[in-house]
Amino acid sequence: MVTGKGGVGKSTVSAALAVLAARAGKRVLVCEVNARERIAPLLGAPPAGAQIREARPGLFTLNVTPPDAMREYGIMVLKFRTIYDAVFENRLVRHFLRVIPSLAELVMLGKILFEAKSEERGRPRWDVVIVDAPATGHAVQLLRVPSALLDTVPAGPLRGDAEWMQALLLDPARTALAIVTLPEEMPVNEAIDLDAQVRSELGVPRAALFVNAMPEARFTHEEEARLESLAGEPPPLGPAAAAARLQALRAEQAQRYLARARAALDLPTTVLPLLPVAEWGAAAVERIADAIAAAPPEPAP
Amino acid sequence: MTPVRDTTAGRRIVVCVGSGGVGKTTVAAAIALDRALAGGRVLVCTIDPARRLANALGLTSLGNVESRVPDHKFAEAGLRAKGELHAMMLDVKRTWDDLVARHAPDPARRERILKNRLYQQMSSALAGSQEYMAMEKLYELATDRDYDLIVLDTPPTAHALDFLDAPDRILDFLGNDAARVLLAPAIGAGKLGLRLAQLGGGYVAKTLARFTGQAALSDLGDFLQGFQGMYEGFKDRAGAVRALLSRPEVGFVLVTSPSPISIDEAMAFHERLHAESMPVAGLVANRVTPDLWPGAAPLPSPEDLASPLGERGGNDRGFARRLAETLAEHQMLAAAERRALERLFEAVSAPYAVVPRLESDVHDLRGLARLAERL
Repeated sequence: MVTGKGGVGKSTVSAALAVLAARAGKRVLVCEVNARERIAPLLGAPPAGAQIREARPGLFTLNVTPPDAMREYGIMVLKFRTIYDAVFENRLVRHFLRVIPSLAELVMLGKILFEAKSEERGRPRWDVVIVDAPATGHAVQLLRVPSALLDTVPAGPLRGDAEWMQALLLDPARTALAIVTLPEEMPVNEAIDLDAQVRSELGVPRAALFVNAMPEARFTHEEEARLESLAGEPPPLGPAAAAARLQALRAEQAQRYLARARAALDLPTTVLPLLPVAEWGAAAVERIADAIAAAPPEPAP
Repeated sequence: MTPVRDTTAGRRIVVCVGSGGVGKTTVAAAIALDRALAGGRVLVCTIDPARRLANALGLTSLGNVESRVPDHKFAEAGLRAKGELHAMMLDVKRTWDDLVARHAPDPARRERILKNRLYQQMSSALAGSQEYMAMEKLYELATDRDYDLIVLDTPPTAHALDFLDAPDRILDFLGNDAARVLLAPAIGAGKLGLRLAQLGGGYVAKTLARFTGQAALSDLGDFLQGFQGMYEGFKDRAGAVRALLSRPEVGFVLVTSPSPISIDEAMAFHERLHAESMPVAGLVANRVTPDLWPGAAPLPSPEDLASPLGERGGNDRGFARRLAETLAEHQMLAAAERRALERLFEAVSAPYAVVPRLESDVHDLRGLARLAERL
């Protein structure tokens, strides 16, 4: 499960983790949750939509949406397609289902976790399922569904499903939650709040922190001290020094927020470089995958 | 040139919209501060400000409390306000509770709703709840208070359009006729499970209960019954909010970062506002990489930098090379952002301001005042 504040690079990290797994010869499924689909396009493949589709050898993508998940899940629960069609394709019922809180989350999570435990010829269908989960608040809503159901729903098929889903979500041998953040104030604050919620409410095994888009410390302190006055020089030196000064300031701020995230979160951490690329695509994802492979999440020294 | 400042100058309500993480709150606070400095009595209503910005505005708690930013905060920033700046953090739960209290016909009904498990979930968890309450609060403030300007910062939605869709979605929930019809035999009995079992023709309801569980259906039935009769009041109110947002004294300010995703959101939002005849006051492209090498001249090589560097306190080749690289990367990013933004400025016919990425996060009144000058 990969989550974090909106705009921090969850999809990029999810895609890079998938690329790494596929490189290792694993069969991977990446699920997006009712999103404007990004993973397949990031990998240079056409969007998958609601059908699982191979983006590159061994790497499959899927965009899980409520209507499709509802249909699959409904047919599974009711066993008979005819009953599902008679009841659920009823216009009134469809309207009604839209307003049951958490039902959309339930069926989407159900679809994903069903894939995660499904088997083919006695073997797991997927070696790894990576979920590019929604942004913080919505991810918590999604992951909270099974436990909320266990609190409120009496025995029945729904409760049975909630039970196996919750068991799978809480099993550290099978599930891991990764938080993605940027070395900036709001994303780091949100990562800290999210982590606290995961620990106190969700109980999903916390596994890693990815600090994305970290500018490198490119200049020494002595050089930095010179940049301020050099920035006032005429071109070409002045503009080059001005750019360098902005870079140095950003790198310094980023270091502070990285330190704050590390101190507050106590999670195995990988720091990903800020890539100087104008367009995000397969090449950039490969580079992020390389960076993760070179320094996989490690506990703080 | 301060295009957005000029077009927001005459308005009584400014709503800042855009996707998450683009600096909406900061822009909202800057617009509010600017008018307060010029003599207006201003309120900025924020949703989830960064801690240091909240401190700068003297915001310490939620709870819908309007508090005036004290004079010493201005003095510390070297500013003097001719008017007043008030700030408030939206409390979604309390706004819901107030709304229920206003529309409930009697205290018993109010209590019944406030205690319903589903209501408690909904007021915090139902998608669109925050957005709906932000609008509701805005309407209340705009009608009950006498501020010269109210600036509303909107919730950090994944999709900016959620803000405009939220009231319809919630009203759809509250006034769901389908749910009423399906649950009608059960509503009133209280014992939904029993009633469902008794329904000879309740095949649909029974199948649904198998699917969702009966507890969930009971809660929903109870909840909808509680709201019966109140729906019209809610609907009228939402209509009034929508009408308010179409008045010329309102101005939407679209805030975007130069990232393609946030630009797409801004374009979609603009299209929507246009279609609904809601007034767009301006566009703010925030955190834009400044162009440090304007013109068509080729970028300097490390050698070009080596000799002036030698004259200014010494050159080492590594330093010159890194300077040249940094400028080249910087300019590549600036050019990519400019291309992306040009697409936006062509599509959106509204005054726009380009705010460069500042050297540090804006987190005090002085920083806000400087930002306002660039709007």
